Amino acid sequence: MGGRIRTQLLKGTTTLLVLTVLRDGELYGYEIAQRISERSSGAFAPSEGSLYPALHALEADGALQASWRDSDRGPRRRYYKITKTGLGMLEEHAQEWAAFSLGMARAVGGANL
Amino acid sequence: VIQLLLLIVGGYALLFASQKLLRRSERRLGPGPDESGSPVAPGQTGGVEISSFLDRMAAELRLPAADVAEVRAEIADHLRDSIASLEAGGFETEEAIREALGRLGPPAELGRQLRAAHQSTRRLLAGAGGGVIAAGGGFVLGDLLGVVLATTGFIALSGVVALLGAVGVHLPTIVENDGGNTMGSLIDAITLVAATTVATSYAVRTSAGLSRHTPGAVAVFWAGAGALVFGWLAIFGVRGPQSWPSVAVELGMPVVAVAAAFVPIERPMLHVGRWALSVPAVIIVVLVGVLVLGAVAVNVSSSTTSASAPAPSLSVCPQSDQSASCIQTYFQLDTVAPMAPARWLTDGSFSPAPYFSGSGSSIDDHASAGPSSVPAARALSRWTDVRFEAWHALPTDEPGPGGIDTRYSAPFMVQPAVMTGSDVRAVFHFERFRDAGSWWVVLTALGPDGHRYRLDDGSSGSGYFNGSAWDWLTAPQ
Repeated sequence: MGGRIRTQLLKGTTTLLVLTVLRDGELYGYEIAQRISERSSGAFAPSEGSLYPALHALEADGALQASWRDSDRGPRRRYYKITKTGLGMLEEHAQEWAAFSLGMARAVGGANL
Repeated sequence: VIQLLLLIVGGYALLFASQKLLRRSERRLGPGPDESGSPVAPGQTGGVEISSFLDRMAAELRLPAADVAEVRAEIADHLRDSIASLEAGGFETEEAIREALGRLGPPAELGRQLRAAHQSTRRLLAGAGGGVIAAGGGFVLGDLLGVVLATTGFIALSGVVALLGAVGVHLPTIVENDGGNTMGSLIDAITLVAATTVATSYAVRTSAGLSRHTPGAVAVFWAGAGALVFGWLAIFGVRGPQSWPSVAVELGMPVVAVAAAFVPIERPMLHVGRWALSVPAVIIVVLVGVLVLGAVAVNVSSSTTSASAPAPSLSVCPQSDQSASCIQTYFQLDTVAPMAPARWLTDGSFSPAPYFSGSGSSIDDHASAGPSSVPAARALSRWTDVRFEAWHALPTDEPGPGGIDTRYSAPFMVQPAVMTGSDVRAVFHFERFRDAGSWWVVLTALGPDGHRYRLDDGSSGSGYFNGSAWDWLTAPQ
């Protein structure tokens, strides 16, 4: 497995990861990928090919709001900002994930817990 | 009054909502942001691969232009950052470009996933709903525009005809003695065509922007929907005065709807600004209020008058001489049939008591069997083939007293008389005849000697076609 979680395990977690890093402030696409990787010490690195469809789907659902702005360095970028709907979605996903990971931990490593 | 006010308020609300939706939608249909330059310097190795990647991805997007431009710009930005980061990590430029592109996966797959993310069911429903609202608002706006255009055209045309007449050129008239049917119905039809055009264009633009589907794909849907809805309206839905020119123009509505759906979105579209929406709304509300109050006052006044007024067509004869001979002289009633001898009629005669029903020019012609209310069947026991005959009459707006048009030797419509108590009646729908014009309805029957006689002097009036295009096309000649 190496230092990275299997891609299959990451499926379905992209939404949670994106919403989590955007809770702290506005970011553009590349920054979001970097921030996820940094926060998980490289354990989670969402496929860049799936990141943008996920961002655009969240925007279509009203969880994110996007706007073009000049960046601190370089050209104009598309920044994403979490909305009230997105915060609600984040809470929901976080609870689901907590229940899932607790159940998995009990099932897989029960004797060691 | 309440219906009219609801119509005005509803129309204005639709117009206002359609303008909001249209503007919001058109922001998605514009050119969108620039790509902020290529991720690599011009001429640098890898530029072709990146352009090719973006082109293949964009080919799968099938989104409105602004969305495509945004996605391209965003992915180009991402590649720029990714390549710079890889180069900083020790990659050669070519390797960095290949790695950055590889991390995004196959371009066609990325394009398909992005399209799916944009074209959600929620947006599709918003596009459909927004399109319907925009079509409604567009119809209201087109209707107003059409009234102005058609009326201006009519006034200009009248001016040209008058000028030509002044210099001795007389054009054949199509509006004389038709009660304003031809010109009125033509103005209505032109108005409807203008409304159809604006409604369909608004629907396509709004649906495309809100649903994030390409205007071309949305146009196919709205062309079909517009052809069906406006086709139905043109043939069956629009009722009112009709004429050949108006029917021809109305039948063009579905064709115009299809053409309007495919008007390129780059073409400028009619918009209404906030002030242009607000000021006329206030003026219209005030004007309609005044008109409604005026109409109510006139209606009350006319209903009071009509209830007590004598039959207007017979008033030509002086009150001192309402004899059959006077009436015959003026109105040529013997053209129909000679008056029945009084000895064959109970109590001397029948009393015509015509009244108009509420549907324009239909008439419920009605006669009573004398003042003593003798049952009609008994009063007419010696008569056979009792019927009401509708004859063409001279137009009331022509010089002279009016009366039976003696160029005709037979009635243009006959209805058998139905006897109920002392009543003898039949219902005529002149509004379903293309050329009923002025008419005279008389009660006749075959007398004991086998000849046809007039049982009363009848009633007259004028009626012009009122119905749908289908009614017009299938009307008796």
